[in-house]
Amino acid sequence: MARVFHATAGSGRSAARRAPGTEPAPAPAPRSASRGGIVAGYLAPHPPHLVYAENPPQNEPRSTGGWEVLRWGYEELRRRLRAHRPDVLIVHAPHWITMVGHHVNCVPNPRGVSVEPIFPHLFRYHYDFRTDVDLAEAIVEEGSRAGLVTSAMREDGVRVDYATIGALHLANPDWDLPVVSLSANNNPYFYSDASLTEMETLGAATRRAVERTGRRAVLLASNSLSHLHWDTEPDLPEDMGVERPFTHAQYAGDMELLQTIREGPTSRLKAAVPKHIEATSSETKAGSLTWLLAAMGWPAIAGDVLAYGTVIATGNAVVEWVAP
Amino acid sequence: MTPGRAPAALVPTMPHLLAGDPAPSWAELAAATRTVGDRLRAAGVDTVLLLSTQWFTVLGHQVQCDERLRGRRTDENWYAYDYGHLDHDLAIDTELAHSWADAIDAAGMQARRTRYEGFPVDTGTVVAARLLDPDGRGRWAQVSCNLYADPAAMAAVAAAGVRAAQGLGRRPGIVAVSGLSSGLTPRWIRPAEDRVEPEHDRWNRKVLDAIRAGDRGAVLAMREEFADAAQADSQFRAFAFLDGSGAVDRPGEVLAYGPVWGTGAAVVWWGGSGGRGESTERES
Ligand SMILES: [Fe+2]
Repeated sequence: MARVFHATAGSGRSAARRAPGTEPAPAPAPRSASRGGIVAGYLAPHPPHLVYAENPPQNEPRSTGGWEVLRWGYEELRRRLRAHRPDVLIVHAPHWITMVGHHVNCVPNPRGVSVEPIFPHLFRYHYDFRTDVDLAEAIVEEGSRAGLVTSAMREDGVRVDYATIGALHLANPDWDLPVVSLSANNNPYFYSDASLTEMETLGAATRRAVERTGRRAVLLASNSLSHLHWDTEPDLPEDMGVERPFTHAQYAGDMELLQTIREGPTSRLKAAVPKHIEATSSETKAGSLTWLLAAMGWPAIAGDVLAYGTVIATGNAVVEWVAP
Repeated sequence: MTPGRAPAALVPTMPHLLAGDPAPSWAELAAATRTVGDRLRAAGVDTVLLLSTQWFTVLGHQVQCDERLRGRRTDENWYAYDYGHLDHDLAIDTELAHSWADAIDAAGMQARRTRYEGFPVDTGTVVAARLLDPDGRGRWAQVSCNLYADPAAMAAVAAAGVRAAQGLGRRPGIVAVSGLSSGLTPRWIRPAEDRVEPEHDRWNRKVLDAIRAGDRGAVLAMREEFADAAQADSQFRAFAFLDGSGAVDRPGEVLAYGPVWGTGAAVVWWGGSGGRGESTERES
């Protein structure tokens, strides 16, 4: 295939990657430190296993670890995220399933215990975080102005789902940044896939809202990649002796997408993401990744793949895109 | 217990059936679900074996083992409406639940015993329980709907439930909480605007005709095509579950059919036989 554009793979920081604690987080570039807008985006998959494996105090179940390479990727993500000095994290997650329209959590202080109905033995998480309500409302307004069905969710009683909590915890376990959480207007299991065109509209609306409110934002797309997986579980959930890709084809599909990501530019993903969904039932069919890239304006850059690994056979990658 | 076939029913999942100001179709579906509850009581059912497609899972077959599911469900999509806030209080027949889980394991599948404080009971379960059992006197045994398992496995799970109930001398009723076509209207509508799109409607009626005729083979044979053509709720695994219980090899009585926010919903009753105080099946 003729490539009309070549971007450098990885960010400048990837070469300086170190284990956490061995060096301070890199200092942000002075030019961008004062600038608002979307400064970075991360593909931030949410398997509850990763939270479970980490044994944070907020999660009730205890584990003996597991899925270390993915979790090390998240440790690197945390260092980089901190260096971007964001005002807010905006997350789009596929397991806050809203059948009608795109909803934005506008509850100022979501709090509660999220017992996950699918993985209750792994994920019973006590959450307590702050919402950037002004930005959340701005996203609702911009989305609706763009012709989307949108809703501002103001109900304390709506349980925050594990895909939202998982990505946010893994990216920022201190929970010391305000959050905006967006729902997925689809059902990955039986209603429908997201309209990726609509996700582009939502992404553009998110960008306008960030710019209008002057926020310095980091985006999290809470999606796994290839999504076929086992339908039973080993006695020890973190038994890495049985962890592997579902098939070679699923693995190869993920590698093809990640290669495109590493080469850039992101505009190639407009075609590569639907192809990857077709080939691997990728969870990106929920639209989070398309939303993220559209919000960043499909920048002419490469993504930096920080880690890849499987979780109950699904493919998961931690990826960074730094806004140019 | 008196041997015989268990009575069974298919009832809708959507909370609109509990609306204070319902569309005519929602009200009819709700009334029909209440009728099913009356019939289950009249049939002398001790415990309802329940499958709700809204408790969808992906690993093994989760069996609810908490003795009391008390709480309030705030639906993540319908919270702006009265029917988006649902109190619930279900008594679980834990002896049967454990026995069911054992029977699932014994059949070579993986049961997962679920008992966690704060477990989020799904909207479909709450809606069905409130309409089937308005006084809260019934007992339930509940299994999840594994969307990655073969539908044949759902049949085997139901069969395991019936065996477990028989082993304990319970008279079970079998209830699957599921919609038909799931083409939801993707905008906020007034109840009066509610309708199923024609192609989905045609499919729903075709499936219901086969159910009325008691042709379980035809329903099972068209299940996959129905799933593709009309986005059938959970690929209509609910019927595979009902079939596995042995309860649907006879004509089903369609008590109601209509739209709920564009999806297709029906209430279907299959009378049992040989139970205590069994009522005679009515003609529709
Ligand atoms: Fe997921």
